[in-house]
Amino acid sequence: MMGLSGRLLTYIAVAVSFVAVAMSGNGFFIQAALGIAISAILALSWDILSRTGQVSLGQSAFFGIGAYGSGILTPVIGAVFGWIVGILLCAVAAILIGLVTLRLRRLYFTIATLSFGLSMQVLIVMTPRITGGSTGIMPPVIMGASPSAQLMLITGFLIVSAIVSDIFLGDRFRPAFFMIRNNPALAASSGVPVVKTKILAFAVSGMIAGIAGACYAGLYGYVIPEDVFTPNWSVLPLAVSILGGMDTTLGPILGAVVLRVLEEVARHFVGGAGYQVVYGAVIIVFIIILPKGLVGGLTQLFRKRTRKAAPVAPAEAAS
Amino acid sequence: MTSLSVADCTVSFGGLKAINDLTLAIPSGTITALIGPNGSGKSTFCNMVSGQIPPNVGTILLDGVSIRGLRPDQIVAAGLARTYQVPRVPKELTIGEVIGVPLRYVRSGRDLPRKMQTAADVARFCGLSLPLDMPCADLSISDLRRLEIARALACKPHVLLLDEAMAGLSLADTEQVIALVREVHAAGITVVVIEHVMRIIAALCGHAAVLNNGRLLAEASPAVVLRDPAVREAYLGKGFAP
Repeated sequence: MMGLSGRLLTYIAVAVSFVAVAMSGNGFFIQAALGIAISAILALSWDILSRTGQVSLGQSAFFGIGAYGSGILTPVIGAVFGWIVGILLCAVAAILIGLVTLRLRRLYFTIATLSFGLSMQVLIVMTPRITGGSTGIMPPVIMGASPSAQLMLITGFLIVSAIVSDIFLGDRFRPAFFMIRNNPALAASSGVPVVKTKILAFAVSGMIAGIAGACYAGLYGYVIPEDVFTPNWSVLPLAVSILGGMDTTLGPILGAVVLRVLEEVARHFVGGAGYQVVYGAVIIVFIIILPKGLVGGLTQLFRKRTRKAAPVAPAEAAS
Repeated sequence: MTSLSVADCTVSFGGLKAINDLTLAIPSGTITALIGPNGSGKSTFCNMVSGQIPPNVGTILLDGVSIRGLRPDQIVAAGLARTYQVPRVPKELTIGEVIGVPLRYVRSGRDLPRKMQTAADVARFCGLSLPLDMPCADLSISDLRRLEIARALACKPHVLLLDEAMAGLSLADTEQVIALVREVHAAGITVVVIEHVMRIIAALCGHAAVLNNGRLLAEASPAVVLRDPAVREAYLGKGFAP
């Protein structure tokens, strides 16, 4: 992973770009950047969990719990505590679900998370007294409905998510996570409490997905079950992370930007609903050409350049 | 004195008893060989005592304390480490990171032997003369075997189980790993060697236990057990033993 200065530089670069858009006052770009920031946060949440080998298709559940939790609680206990409790609810849900599902192997875990996302939607519809049922809720809009102020705030959450992601790419967690993913028996034989560590990753992942959901609720001021528990919020982070580059912090952020650009370009040139086909095809081509994502591809390119620039290196390595 | 002992242990896979009412004690401070024909239960023994496959019944004691029912990571913390026959390490991790995992995660009051402190010390002790930031994807099989021993050693064990740590190595590499195992033993660690090659066992071990069909067949010095007619028959079949 990158050194501290490299990481700080990344945070600053990301913050500056988003803040620049916020300051520009251009409505279209601000709305696009808001969407990008939310998908980047959600993608980071997915990526953190995937580093332990758990492929989740249930991020929409946490996205929705974050949206509903913060949305229902903000009028009751205020925005700050409403958000905190809403996000903590995601951790509680993740721990409870994790205790049951994280003992499952790979694909079975994925299926379990998928059904968790879908069952949450049913739960909301069945409890209209608390959750408004299928008519939804109308949480207060954040930052006085000023899009540039909203973008500044959500950029802050994106940076926080990036820092959390980098903590899990640090010496304490990265080797243990990758060992759990690659060979859980070896991890256990190296003293790693495998199930506990997976639950930790799941809880953190759930909370960050919850932040994305709370942001979404606060932006639009209107939450219905079909909007937040849609499988779209489960598949999007996967596509974004794979496109941008898994096991990195920059990958999910870069992936969110590129995916949005692809979407807009496809919409512009193809229009109608047909643009989605083109955009899907482009993603597939990207994944075939760059299996390690944009970040992986760029890293390789950079390494090749430096190798060409220093032809002495291979000889030294061989001796 | 015994360091690791199992009593009346059984591990069943369906109808098959891979470990069948086994009672066995590993004397403290020895290099003990655990041998037996294929399917005799050696690897299951390894998985059983290290917590991967808990026994259906029986007791397992490590230095007199029961470790049966503990999770693998708790058993490692209690002082029993093992290596794997096929060292499957994540290829994106570096040598230093792999050794660093047990150094960081194994919580015990024990120290590394020989005043070792860091992953670099452990790597050097195990004869891994490669840079610590080298990815495991680039390692040869003999370096992977060394790394696996280094990883297990970084668990700060007092009992170390080596599951065919020398399989697939060249003669020269085998000699070096034998020397390494002797050094590990000299550092005060009880070593259990699961091995097929009798030459290695004769060279390395002072004590040997022979398993057959999940039971203890014989137990004595390697020279004695290898002459035992029952052992020869287990390996070669009835009528073929000379």
